[in-house]
Amino acid sequence: MLPAGVLLLIFLTYPLGLGTWLGFTDTKIGRAGEWVGIENFQFLIGDSVARLSLFNTLFYTVVASIIKFALGLWLALLLNRHIPFKSFFRAIVLLPFIVPTALSALAFWWLYDAQFSVISWSLTKMGLIHRYIDFLGDPWNARLSVIAANIWRGVPFVAICLLAGLQTISPTLYEAAALDGATPWQRFWYVTLPLLTPIIAVVMTFSVLFTFTDFQLIYVITRGGPLNSTHLMATLSFQRAIPGGSLGEGAALATLMVPFLLAAILFSYFGLQRRAWQQGAKD
Amino acid sequence: MAADKKPPVVADEAISTEGMGYLESIPRRVVTLYLPLGVFVFVLLFPFYWMVTTSIKPNAELLSREGNPFWVRNPTFEHFYHLIFETPYPEWMWNTVIVSCVSTFASLAASVFAAYAIERLRFKGSKQTGLAIFLAYLVPPSILFIPLAAIVFKLGLFDTRWALILTYPTFLIPFCTWLLMGYFRSIPFELEECALIDGATRWQILVKIVLPLAVPGLISAGIFAFTLSWNEFIYALTFISSSEVKTVPVGVVTELVEGDVYHWGALMAGALLGSLPVAIMYSFFVEYYVSGMTGAVKE
Repeated sequence: MLPAGVLLLIFLTYPLGLGTWLGFTDTKIGRAGEWVGIENFQFLIGDSVARLSLFNTLFYTVVASIIKFALGLWLALLLNRHIPFKSFFRAIVLLPFIVPTALSALAFWWLYDAQFSVISWSLTKMGLIHRYIDFLGDPWNARLSVIAANIWRGVPFVAICLLAGLQTISPTLYEAAALDGATPWQRFWYVTLPLLTPIIAVVMTFSVLFTFTDFQLIYVITRGGPLNSTHLMATLSFQRAIPGGSLGEGAALATLMVPFLLAAILFSYFGLQRRAWQQGAKD
Repeated sequence: MAADKKPPVVADEAISTEGMGYLESIPRRVVTLYLPLGVFVFVLLFPFYWMVTTSIKPNAELLSREGNPFWVRNPTFEHFYHLIFETPYPEWMWNTVIVSCVSTFASLAASVFAAYAIERLRFKGSKQTGLAIFLAYLVPPSILFIPLAAIVFKLGLFDTRWALILTYPTFLIPFCTWLLMGYFRSIPFELEECALIDGATRWQILVKIVLPLAVPGLISAGIFAFTLSWNEFIYALTFISSSEVKTVPVGVVTELVEGDVYHWGALMAGALLGSLPVAIMYSFFVEYYVSGMTGAVKE
């Protein structure tokens, strides 16, 4: 039995090892560009487009994540109520998350068209605006437009994951709170939120990660324009590395994203720790 | 607040069916529940509605400012016809199907072994390997695509389907392994011990006991992996340059958007057709999909 076990162990772990090895070689070749020069980083720090992309990325991530969290939590709370066709609603809500992002981004691009945007059309008909909105031609409009598209795609993910968390909370807790005279707001604040904190931490870590490293939406809707005002670090590194040809510079930009990634992971880790602590305290 | 009107009566059957929902009045329910829910559903579905109407509108109607843009007056299939017979769209579809299926099955097979090894074979550092898998899952493709491009080029795989089939597992395997680890953990140890006593080998245990019990997990992982590889964009954009081997998302975005005049009808038709396979698959396996997603997030 032992030799078989050892043999299987090798064969079972081999693909795993291969995967890990590949992962490591990737990062090493990525770092080879970084190692070649600190110059790359020095150049990037002096580069106004790169700094702008850093600002855009942070702005994009912070704004989109906060709104996604708020709307996602709201939607999860709505779906957690007793409603007819619950599973049907849940299935529909997740649809934006599963279709290919590049393709739904195309739909947004068309929705944001300067001349034929149906959003502008409706607003004009309602008499709210008089000129068609130039969604993608103005830097701030473009930023907010891509953020809206990102929120549209991200809310379902947040909502469905939080819904799974909400369903694990026992209704008896709410009944007990209600009997003690808690208002709905108090029930949310003192029962739902504390019990949901661990899963919020994890979900938001994922959400921040996806948003921070987002590529497809920007690439399809604006390609970084107008005037580089919507370039994220991911799109800029693609632009510099593949069409621009300077692999090292692109890789350096990608490497610059790693510290933020680590921060997000640590955040998730401490979120999990807190769960252990909470459970210990509650028992 | 209307909440003060709550009747202090506790009805047993009401609690068992709908919790405390019976405490709410109908108008209040409409305002706090159905209205926001309706808005959410409308906003989330509107782009799809827009995709569908655009794809069946004739060009003249698309570019006119007269009439109501929400409605189609003369539906037409010319955009679909153009897409299927006058562009390489069917080829892209075929590429996407091949790449997604092959990389999904390969990753699933590899993940089964990896997850089983981590969960059940007690070796030194299995915990650490599990953690490493989780971290590998968190590394996003937008950081990896440059080094991977270098590797793909060195291996001479640039601009072939193999480039995608071999690189997709780098994000599929960690995900599937993580998901399957959770499923394997839920299978009681005793079953395997019984089998061991009856003289089963590790291989027999895996094939005859663990895998049949983990079928729901395998389905979730498979569906999710298929969707992920179908939707993949950045690797396909970077590693592929000739039209014959492009996948649907990349093909539609790069080949159909040429020149100054955008063929919105054809673009939306392409987006719609490209989204349909995953949407149909999703509609059949919603429960598996949701459990896969939430399972992956919850440890």
